[in-house]
Parts: sequence; C-alpha cells; structure tokens
Amino acid sequence: MASGIALALSDMPLAMHCWPEVSRRIYRRGGTEAEVRFLYDDREPVLPVMKDGKLELVRWGNGRGRSRCLPRTGWTWKATVEQGGWVGAAPGVVRIPATLALEKGIWFRVRQGVHGLLVTDEQGVESAYMICEPSSHYYRVMTRSDRMPALIEEKI
Amino acid sequence: MRLGHISLSHFNSTSFRKIDQIIVLLLLNSRKPSGRYCTSLDTIRAYTILVDMYTRKRAVGHLDADCFYVSAERVRDPFLKGKPVGVLGNQGACVIAKSYEMKAAGVKTGEPIWDAVQKCPDGIYVKRDFRWYETLSRSMLEVMRRLSGHVEYYSIDEFFFVAEPGPGQSFQDLAVAMRQTILEELDLPVTVGIARSRTLAKLISDSAKPFGAKAVLEKEHEEHLLARLPVTEISGVAKRRAKRLLPWGIASCLDLAKADRGLVRKLLTATGEALWWELNGEPTGEIHSARPRHKALSRGGSLGESTADPHRLYAWLVRNLERLIEELRYHRVMPGKLTLWVGYRDGIPGEGQTRLAVPTDRFDLLLEALRPCLRRAWRPKHPANRMHLIAEDLTDRDTAQGGLFSPHDPRAEALADVKQRINERIGRFAVRSGATLPLKSIYDDGANGYDICDVRGKICF
Repeated sequence: MASGIALALSDMPLAMHCWPEVSRRIYRRGGTEAEVRFLYDDREPVLPVMKDGKLELVRWGNGRGRSRCLPRTGWTWKATVEQGGWVGAAPGVVRIPATLALEKGIWFRVRQGVHGLLVTDEQGVESAYMICEPSSHYYRVMTRSDRMPALIEEKI
Repeated sequence: MRLGHISLSHFNSTSFRKIDQIIVLLLLNSRKPSGRYCTSLDTIRAYTILVDMYTRKRAVGHLDADCFYVSAERVRDPFLKGKPVGVLGNQGACVIAKSYEMKAAGVKTGEPIWDAVQKCPDGIYVKRDFRWYETLSRSMLEVMRRLSGHVEYYSIDEFFFVAEPGPGQSFQDLAVAMRQTILEELDLPVTVGIARSRTLAKLISDSAKPFGAKAVLEKEHEEHLLARLPVTEISGVAKRRAKRLLPWGIASCLDLAKADRGLVRKLLTATGEALWWELNGEPTGEIHSARPRHKALSRGGSLGESTADPHRLYAWLVRNLERLIEELRYHRVMPGKLTLWVGYRDGIPGEGQTRLAVPTDRFDLLLEALRPCLRRAWRPKHPANRMHLIAEDLTDRDTAQGGLFSPHDPRAEALADVKQRINERIGRFAVRSGATLPLKSIYDDGANGYDICDVRGKICF
C-alpha cells in the first residue's frame, strides 16, 4: 500500500497552486517540473481526487481519528469494496490522480493514478481511502510489500 | 584490418608505407593456390575503406546513447527529465540503468534497489520495457544508416560506423552533426567519438560522455587522451588482465600502446595484441553491417527471487529451453552441444554439459538431454539465483544430416510446429509446457516476456 503520492504541479489547476495546503506540499526533485507531495504521515493527510470532473483535496482516510464511525486507516482492500463491505457508508469510487507513488521509501512512476473510495463521515466531511490489492510479483520484489495500490489501467 | 589470412601485423611498420601495405595485402590475400589473383567486390570495397582510412578520408566512429534506458523512458515521459531515475530489472530487484543525476548520488548499475534508495531517496524507479527500448534502438539504427554507408549494430545502444565527412565537413563537424540529428529526430542524447580504430573511437566516446562529440585523429591528441585513461577503460581489459600488465609498468592506455608488441602478446595473447594495434591506430576488425552467424545461442538470466526448490529450478530450465528453441528455430540451426549453468547465492556455480548424438531442436529430446545436466548443476539446499542455457556446435537446420538412429517422430515435429505457430500468432508463451506452472507470477507479468537478448541482429549482448 502506498504511503504517499505525488502529482506533477502542471497537472493541478493554476488556481490551486497558491492554496496553502498545496503550496506547502510543493517539492522540487530536479528537472523543470515540480510536484506536489501528499503523504499519509502528514499532520493533515489529504488526497487529490477527481470529483465530477474537478480536482479536489479531501481528507485521506481516518488515520487521525477525526471520525468516530469510519475505520482508522487510509486504505481499503479492493475485495472488501467488491464484497459490499462499505455499502453502509454510501461510498463512491473516485480517481486519485498521481504521477508518482511512494512505498517503503521507494518512489515509482504511476501513469494515471490510483483507484480510491470516497465516503462521508457522520459530520458530513468527505474522506478518500486508497484502494489496494495483493502485490504483483514485481511490486513485491521491488517494495517487499504484500499490498499494492490498485492502479488505474496499469499493471506493474 | 584482418580481411584474409595475412594481416597488417605481418609487416614491420617502418619497412612499408601503410598504403603500400594495404595494396600488398589485397594482392596476397586474394591469391589463389593456383597462383591466380581473384578477389570479390566486397573485399575490394573493404580494402577501399581501409585505404581511405589511412588517407584520412574515412575513420571509425562510435555512437553511444547516454544512459539509454533512462533516456528512452524520458522520450515518452518528459516528467522524468532532469530527475534522478533508475530503471529496474531482475523483476524489480536491481537498478539496471540510472540517470546521471542518480549516478551523482553514488548509485551503481546492478545495485539492489534497497541500497539505491539509501543513497538516493529522491530517485524515481521505473520498470524496464525492452520492447520500447528496441523500438528506439532500431530508429537510431535507421538514422545511423542514413548518415553512414557502413553501420554495425553493436548493442542496443551502441553503434560503430565508417565516418565519412561530406564535402567541406571535418570529422569533428560530422560527430556534432550526428549527435544533433539523433537528438532532433528521436529526442535521445548520444555521444559520438571518431578515431582511427574501433578501440580508439570507443575510448574517445566513453571519455566524452555525456552528450559529447569528439573526433581525435592526430597522434598527439590520441596520446594525450590515452595517457589519462587506465587500461581497464579498454573493453577487453578487465581487472585480471590489468593486474598482469601492472608489474611491467603498464597502467594507462598509453603505456599499453607504447609497450613492446611481443610482450603484450605474451601477456594478453593475440586478443591483447589486436588491442595494441588498435591503440596505435591500426584497425584490426571490420565494421559488420550485418551480424555474422552465431557460434552459440543462449538464454537465461536472473531468477529474481533465489530458490532452492528443485521444482522451481526445473521450471526455469523448461522456460529457458522454450526460449532457446524459439531462437534456434528463428535462426534455423540445431545444437550439437548443450551447457546448463546455474549460479548460486554463495557464488559457487554448478554446471552440466551434454553432447547430442544427433543435432535437434525438438523440445522433448532437448529436455531429456538436459535433465542429467540439471542434476549435475544442482546443489541441494543452496538457493540458486541465475541460470544460463547455452547451445553450441550449431548446424544448419536445412542441411543437417540425420544420424542412422535419429529419432524421427512426425507427431512431435508437428506438435512443435503448431506450438510455434500459435505463439507467433497469439503471443509469446501462449502455449507452453505445464512444467512452467510454478513460475505463474513470472508469466503473468508481460515485461518478462521480452528481454534484452530477444533484440535480434546486434553483435554484442
């Protein structure tokens, strides 16, 4: 499971670049293009999600325990979603756009992004959970992790 | 240049002018036992190139793509430009290519990803894609063939060529123009070196990296360059050979070039002597526009996760054999000898060898022959991490003579044909042996279906 993603700054609408929650996350790794890093370890973890054709930042899961009813994690199994484990929370599947993803310190390239699950808590605040699945052989060798993010139209 | 049974090395360089040597060589090498002179157009063409080289109308060029796999990824993904990038091979375990930014952080080719991440936490890792690298490599070859009449497809990212400057163009101009053309047409950074011989051209391009273009044809400039380079920079001189040279005070490329030729031959055999000629500006090998016939074919490589499980090892053997048969059938050859080499994590390899009574490319017969080889190469309870299967003594499939007791089995042959046709039509490994089932995860990943050795037509691995 990825503990962070990065989105190329040029993939974000210009108007968002000056938002404090975006500007403080801008990181330059080299080259001409900067990226915006969204890490689960952040004091306020958020994820970019595409909602109704618009890019929005929403809370990443419920790791900080802000909601009393949502699970205190940032990820959910694809199988759990498919088996209806989230039906009670009226979830919606969303796209988490990403240029890179981070797993155990390893940044790897992602073509489109990761599948996410968007739910609303008892206070009406939206949270996005990253959907994960069992690791492919390559992913397990690369990261030594048994879970990998469910990538959009991509197999690694 | 060794075009016949007599080469330039037979002459004392002071007794003949080089141009005279070449003419004498042409005559001697084309003399038939009957005493008549007869030579082919190809030979005359090759000698013409040689004459032009000595008269400085032509030279040898070497073009090498800069961190090719990374550059290829950047062609289709500009986000990666200027960033530390590593291409992962061995099923995700090792960095097989790195950008100059990652190199600056101390990451080395072949390094496990876990060590690379410690050295370069900002690195971005991408999965290798040899199909894409081959597409770009062949595009480079096309451009090269447009720019030079004689191009050798040396490796996926390296080309040797006969450098012929146009009217009013110097060798230096030509090197710059070639570099620029590849960049403009393919967005790939390359380095070009032009010199009097292949070895010199390669040394020059290696030392001009990255994105260099350098023509060095004057002896003084050559010596200046050679003096700065250790002998290990020469491909063909590794640590062991360098160690043999050191007691004789030969440490740099210039030391080797200036050393006594006889001594070099004694220390490094005829191969070393050829390098000596090359370092002194005398070409010893021609530019191969087409790949010479294979003397051996092999398939194999890393097993990714090491394994001590004999069933898994057997599955790898079957996988490598199916890949090898595919290659044998493509080249229409059959092996007379097979070698199975297995590498183990503790560094002690195992090997099994067999000679076939009758050359064949049939799966069932080759597997039967390889089983005892695996038993000999297998070291129980020791985790293996590499395997290579080598086919030698190749005979032409169309002209091979069957032995008196050669097992002709029309059913097995028809089955092999069907298997080949289905795989060609549906996709590689669509039909494969059930013995490969323990490697399901390997077959599930399409990237494992195409390897560097599957890129055909190049001279070197």
